Amino acid sequence: MKGRLFIVGLCLGLLIPSFVMAENVEHENILKVHFGGSWRQDQYLTPLLYKGMMVGLGNEWWQPFKQDTKLGQAGKLTNWEHVGQLNLKFDWTYNPTRSNVIYGLHLDAGWGALYRWKFDQQRVQIILGPYLDVNTSVKYMVRNVNKPVSVDAFVGVEAMAGVSYAFKGKKTSYRLRYLIRADVIGVDFMPDYWQSYYEISEKVSGKIRCAGMWNHCLLRHELTLDMQFPHSTWRVGIEHEYNEYGQKNMMFSTEQVSAIIGTCFHYKLNPKKDFTIF
Amino acid sequence: MRDIRLYIILTLMVCSSCTHRFDGVQDNTPVGNMECLWQTLDQKYCFFEEKEVDWQTVYDQYLPSVKQLSSKDYLGLFDTLASMVNVLNDGHVNLYSDFDMSRCQQWYEGYPDNWDWDVLKERYLKDYRIAGGAYYNTLANGKVGYIYVPDFEHVISANNMAYILRSFIDCKGLIVDVRNNGGGDMSYAYQLAATFFKDDKTVGYWQHKNGTGHEDFSSLEAQTLRKSDMPSSWLRPVIVLCNRHTYSAANFFVSIMRKADTKVILMGGKSGGGGGMPLSYELPNGWIIRFSSVRMYDVNKQSIEPGIDPDIEVTDNPQTAVDEIIEKAVLTIQQIPQQ
Repeated sequence: MKGRLFIVGLCLGLLIPSFVMAENVEHENILKVHFGGSWRQDQYLTPLLYKGMMVGLGNEWWQPFKQDTKLGQAGKLTNWEHVGQLNLKFDWTYNPTRSNVIYGLHLDAGWGALYRWKFDQQRVQIILGPYLDVNTSVKYMVRNVNKPVSVDAFVGVEAMAGVSYAFKGKKTSYRLRYLIRADVIGVDFMPDYWQSYYEISEKVSGKIRCAGMWNHCLLRHELTLDMQFPHSTWRVGIEHEYNEYGQKNMMFSTEQVSAIIGTCFHYKLNPKKDFTIF
Repeated sequence: MRDIRLYIILTLMVCSSCTHRFDGVQDNTPVGNMECLWQTLDQKYCFFEEKEVDWQTVYDQYLPSVKQLSSKDYLGLFDTLASMVNVLNDGHVNLYSDFDMSRCQQWYEGYPDNWDWDVLKERYLKDYRIAGGAYYNTLANGKVGYIYVPDFEHVISANNMAYILRSFIDCKGLIVDVRNNGGGDMSYAYQLAATFFKDDKTVGYWQHKNGTGHEDFSSLEAQTLRKSDMPSSWLRPVIVLCNRHTYSAANFFVSIMRKADTKVILMGGKSGGGGGMPLSYELPNGWIIRFSSVRMYDVNKQSIEPGIDPDIEVTDNPQTAVDEIIEKAVLTIQQIPQQ
């Protein structure tokens, strides 16, 4: 029962942005799946590099700020834009001798406000802005004599930048976009230095610290190609995510490279035909 | 077409950047595995000073024999590494592989067993009941309650305890037998001990490693027993039975019971210790080393790693058909003046 509720809740959680934001607010919404490779190092559990696979489900929406704030009205668009993301990823990785498995569940949610610079009749756009990120993961090591669950999280402000180029094919419009995000400052939660599992289950103090570019490397970048066909828009792409942090000689890192397949929904009060007509 | 080429090139660039190994990770060779094991314990094991082990000398002693091993001699490597970690004389230090698990036996060798399951089953646990992880019965014509807790792997819940104590309502005292209890979950030990306390109380201290040096430890952190974990109370006399195989969480239970809000007598033999809470870690070949990483102290800030001496030492005679320790405990309870 709990499992079913969780799955239904998760699906609704992923779909809410699509439907809520479609209510008379101009936006673009993308539902996507990820699949690819995962690399993990977790010196709290093992010194070894674990390699394996990952799958994920995500939602992303983009919505320009308007000068007219009245809902349902076509206000004048500004050069600022919201972006929101919610990604849930699951990975399973093996040690080199394949005698052990670490399962990981990652939840990444965030919101950003980005400024757009437009060039070449708006075909080329450069975006830059702050992004508030909540990034958590739970790990479970199968073959471990202790309770092998470990949790970590990062909440902080990141810098987000990107460039997109829209162009037209014979029957299809395309938009190629590169986006990069890196952490600036925030808060880390991680297991304290060689505490036992008893201590971790007892309390959380001492495991929260200020984090930033100097002690936490969080980098995500993706290259996507949106293809607008007459009745639907599809996305393909590749995403690379690298997350490294730790203390003393107890370091953690996760790296994932995934292919992205998604579908885009557009809602516009003043519909335009495709990406390339502005 | 040019865009597709660009896309492929960028994809390859991204893929080629995948994770580098952190520094200090050894190769999967006999020497690499030994060095990983030695270094892991060197930086994270918590009892070098207390046990007066010169870990560098151990390294120098075992390295030549490991160097002579071929990479295919996994049994030879396992036995050598097991022998190396057994120098620590710690029941919480084990090396796990797919084909064997090393275990140190020195810490209980030379002590009397003080335990005979057949005698216990035939004479003291006839018609016993099981509630959660506890076997219980009454002795001495219903005048003494007896609870046997074989391990702390299974919870004894508040409801279990309420029913157990209800069955002991006419008993003058209670025997809690944790002999041969090898430990388990500390929270279960706390929960059972809370039966014998009236209120929350500090019952011990922990100290975990905060650096790679042998004496890099955090300050002592008080551990509080919470009465709300076990609302039922037993405030009549209690005798706790222990032997050398009373280890780890059971050893900590014995330590906690010394501060109970009722009269508690420890009886039997010296407990086994195991006052270091364990962590486990992998070697490059996938074997796992478990080791003590957190020091536990009693409420007087004394280490409980060597074991806890009983208040009344009683040795069981394996030749007889009775358990001398239980017999002595029953007698002692009956002799305690009623308050």
